[in-house]
Amino acid sequence: MTRYLCALALLAGFAAPAVAGAQAVQNATLSRAQQAYDNLEYRQVVSLARAALRERLTGPERARAYELLGFTYGALDSILKAVDAFKQVVLIDPERQLDPNRVSPKAYSAFDVALRQVLLVRQLRVDSTSFVGGRGAVPIRFTVTQPARVVTRAIGGAGAGSYVIDSGAWNGQVNLSWPARLANGDPVPAGNYTVVVEARLGQNTFSAAQPIRVSHGSVDTLQSLTSLPGYQYLPETEVPPQSWRPLGLAFLYTGGALIGTLGLESSSLGSGSKRELAVVGGAAVVTGFVMTLRKPAPRPAAANILYNRLLRDQIARRNQDIAKENVARRQQVQLTLVPLPKPSGAGPR
Amino acid sequence: MSRAAAGVALLVLVAPAAPAQRVAVTVGPQFALASYREVASGLRYQGTGFGGALSARYRKLSAEVGVVRLTLDPTTGSAATSGFTATEVNAWVAYDVATYASVEAGFIRRTADPEFDAQSVGAVRIGARSFYEIGPGATLLFRANYLAAPKFSGGGHAGFSIDLGLGLDVRLAGRLHGTTAYTFQRINRKTNPGGTGEIDVPIQETVARLGLAVGF
Repeated sequence: MTRYLCALALLAGFAAPAVAGAQAVQNATLSRAQQAYDNLEYRQVVSLARAALRERLTGPERARAYELLGFTYGALDSILKAVDAFKQVVLIDPERQLDPNRVSPKAYSAFDVALRQVLLVRQLRVDSTSFVGGRGAVPIRFTVTQPARVVTRAIGGAGAGSYVIDSGAWNGQVNLSWPARLANGDPVPAGNYTVVVEARLGQNTFSAAQPIRVSHGSVDTLQSLTSLPGYQYLPETEVPPQSWRPLGLAFLYTGGALIGTLGLESSSLGSGSKRELAVVGGAAVVTGFVMTLRKPAPRPAAANILYNRLLRDQIARRNQDIAKENVARRQQVQLTLVPLPKPSGAGPR
Repeated sequence: MSRAAAGVALLVLVAPAAPAQRVAVTVGPQFALASYREVASGLRYQGTGFGGALSARYRKLSAEVGVVRLTLDPTTGSAATSGFTATEVNAWVAYDVATYASVEAGFIRRTADPEFDAQSVGAVRIGARSFYEIGPGATLLFRANYLAAPKFSGGGHAGFSIDLGLGLDVRLAGRLHGTTAYTFQRINRKTNPGGTGEIDVPIQETVARLGLAVGF
């Protein structure tokens, strides 16, 4: 009776995963193999599953065929063959898991041995999270089936950059925290990224990827100042008031020349011609008169220039403070990270 | 004359090589009116002529060269029977010692043709000048130079020789300047012909120059 119950339990253990996998099976030979497995006809399962593997199968069907072989060899105590079959399973579907409560210990241990003999990065999970930049991190979890050099990167974003999250030697369950910040403290740009975990052991490499989306909350940055309230720039030149100074100077200079000429004329030579002085002096006086009527040229206003310089310096200092404040605000932006559906294609290389 | 030509050539050569924002150069032609007296009140001439002037300024240092060729004819009532041609070269180098004042040095060289119709003179200038910008682009200038160590073609010496000047430079449009300059020159020349004792043979000249100049 006890032996019967054990056989029944064993049967239930082998049969349970088979039911789940049978839903996707389209290949007739593989269906027959599944049927044979359900009927505990293990010899027939082996021959039919091998025959199915020689036919054109989809990826899940191929994984299912190897899985049937693994369970069957486990039931037949051919552990090495079971391990080989399960290695093929995990190479095709690295995320494949067996429930230890529903499969036989022999099959589970064979599956576990197979996992340890193949370099895989499995169960890569990036949790949804939201935190203020610099005050939180993105949890990243994955499992490496063999001791390996593992490099974890985030690739993508607005600038299609590559950010190394972690690089180290890992084995088994790995938990990482990514602060999602650049070297200068700024948060990574918003956008879609792919977290890529690449494991390398000798010549063997395996990578797994998980797309994520990083979005930023709104940041209230301060505007730069162009002026200070209540303080206005003053004109740096000023037009002096009109005066008779140009005409006065023209008379002064011309008078000086006239007096000099009259005073220095030789008495023995007599009074000389004043034609030349009249021409030049007249031109000088006329020019002086015109300049008197003209609007004077603007002159630099030293006090205003100094005042404007002080005002510019003050505004520049305020803007420097604002720039620092804005940098801090941008770094403390609310980051929201959401994992996206995985693309197909991750697998051993 | 050769020194004057060398000075002009040097300025012309230096001007284009110097950075435009550092050196201000003006050059242009001039028309001249002149009056010349010598020895006694009866020997007087008047005439006109053409010439050119070149000036340059670099910070506080400035230089000016003027060349004019005058055709002088006896005036009405003059004892002279024929006129002559005078070629006059003036050169100055000045340094600003204040906002409105410079000290300057230079030379004057005036040659007469025919040679013995008037005295040819060469002298060193030492003096000062005052200048003032009376309006946008308009500068007035007054100068007083002592003519040191004068040499005359007819011999003699001069204990007192002075040169006064009045100048005006107006920027007419863009690079174009209008220039006028007045020069009064008095040379107390004395000679001792035949050892009979010194006699006064003064020289007096006034020149007005009107011209245009292009600034660079």
